[in-house]
Amino acid sequence: MEHFAARVLSNRQIAESWRELVIDWPAQAPEPGQFLTVRASPRFDPLLRRPFAFAGFSRERCEASVIYQVRGEATRLLADLAAGARLDTIGPLGRAFPPPGKGERALLAGGGIGLGPVLFLAREFARRKREGVATGEDGLSPALACFGFRTAASVPAIEWPEGVRIYTDDGSAGFAGTPSSALAEEDAGPGRARIYACGPAAMLAALAALAKSRGWNASLSAEQWMACGVGACMGCALERADGAGFLRACADGPVFERDDIDWAAEAARAAR
Amino acid sequence: MQPTLSVQIGPLILENPVGVASGTFGYGSEYEALVELNALGAIYTKAVTLAPRPGNAIPRIVETPAGMLNSIGLANPGVEAFVEHKLPELKTRRAAVIANVAGASEEEYLAVLERLEEAAGPWISPPEGLPISACSARTGIDGYEINVSCPNVRHGGLAFGTDPIQVERLTAALRARTRRALIVKLTPNVADIAPIARAAEAGGADAVSLINTLVGMVIDVRRLRPVLAMGTGGLSGPAVRPVGVACAYKAARAVRIPVIGLGGIMCADDALQYLLAGARAVQVGTGTFVNPRTAEEVLCGIRAWMEREGVERVEAIAKMLA
Repeated sequence: MEHFAARVLSNRQIAESWRELVIDWPAQAPEPGQFLTVRASPRFDPLLRRPFAFAGFSRERCEASVIYQVRGEATRLLADLAAGARLDTIGPLGRAFPPPGKGERALLAGGGIGLGPVLFLAREFARRKREGVATGEDGLSPALACFGFRTAASVPAIEWPEGVRIYTDDGSAGFAGTPSSALAEEDAGPGRARIYACGPAAMLAALAALAKSRGWNASLSAEQWMACGVGACMGCALERADGAGFLRACADGPVFERDDIDWAAEAARAAR
Repeated sequence: MQPTLSVQIGPLILENPVGVASGTFGYGSEYEALVELNALGAIYTKAVTLAPRPGNAIPRIVETPAGMLNSIGLANPGVEAFVEHKLPELKTRRAAVIANVAGASEEEYLAVLERLEEAAGPWISPPEGLPISACSARTGIDGYEINVSCPNVRHGGLAFGTDPIQVERLTAALRARTRRALIVKLTPNVADIAPIARAAEAGGADAVSLINTLVGMVIDVRRLRPVLAMGTGGLSGPAVRPVGVACAYKAARAVRIPVIGLGGIMCADDALQYLLAGARAVQVGTGTFVNPRTAEEVLCGIRAWMEREGVERVEAIAKMLA
């Protein structure tokens, strides 16, 4: 991890309420699932750094991107950054998605604003395919990569990797339905698939349950408020599934395995 | 003129007055990639308790205007794991290592301190006038900060820290068991901090550090519930700085032992406010979350200010307040 003043290269609206921020990345190459933190303002309100998952990284151009939603003051300030502005940045942070095991099909699912890390993973698969670097069961591509959105208006206008399937709740773009239902139609046997996902807590809980019922592995990216982002403050705790305390979203995650976290409890908490 | 930055806290001379506060810096290694640990005057560890503590229910943190609330609940692996996994690495630090000790009862505080004393071995008194950072033989623990001020646990914590009689008794019992620097960390959640500071001094403390966090609450008006799972939490960050400076000012006039000031320090001027109020050293806490290099920048700024003002020693700053 490094701490530096990144230069904003672009910062544009890509969907109804989402934006893509591209910054130069002179630091260690990030991996899909990892995140960065930024200080949205040099002043003290908002105070804390904000974490964002990498949505892409170009080795050739040394550029990294994140996709974010304008939700509060910090993201409003981010949205105001023009190309050329400097952004106080720390990264890469956290645990990345692990590679698929031998003989495992990679099943990718991104939901809503959680699309970033899964998009980055799909992009990496595509890059490796182009470069002929082996990954996953067939060595070159995920068996399935789907992204779900509410309506056509929330589907980001970006360059999607080849083979990606778009789902909308109302069928106004791509297929009608959700990534979860698409993954449920997969017929891989026990131990023959690994789900990679990020999205709403309810979606992650459904996918963890699906993986469990099929005997698949699942690497799921969780979300929690953070203060330090480096494992020091214990603020971003998530409940362990085995009841033995907590894990830190920032340093033990944000990518966790199927049985690390009680995903159903997280979904219930989010719904309260 | 080169100012002298070292400051004395009981038997311990810190190379410089800027430390990083307990609970905001883990055990040091968490920030190693981002912070020049050797530049720090002291590292105050995450609180150590007798048994492992998983910590409080989630969510544990929420941002507030120019601040944050936390309700971590002293999450830590317990004294045995600290001794086994953290102490070896702490022995390699140049900065003074101050172990923050917490407990739910007097017996627990004593048991933790006794175990740490046993594990670190006897205090090796540095040669006269030498900062601990210049000593070759290090034990991994150069002092203790006694946390009698955590607002986020049911037992111990605040229950001790708001009662001068208990503070004095606990401090005296701990004093009898260590020759290392003994610092008592005080809460601002009292009507008057002076009697508590005097109680720590009477018990034999080498210094008091203040302030711990202020009790606060944020309510989610859509969900009709407090945001934090525990309801309340401890407020920190720039929002609390004026409270901390006032407490340091009062405490410094109530006791002869050094005061270590903390609460909302984000830059050198903030730290200088504490030093002018009467503190001999400072800690950076929440500021590290925002900018991991805050402590380094604070130290640079204090040095530059002393050079500019022609101040030779940190202790002299306290006498400059009009």
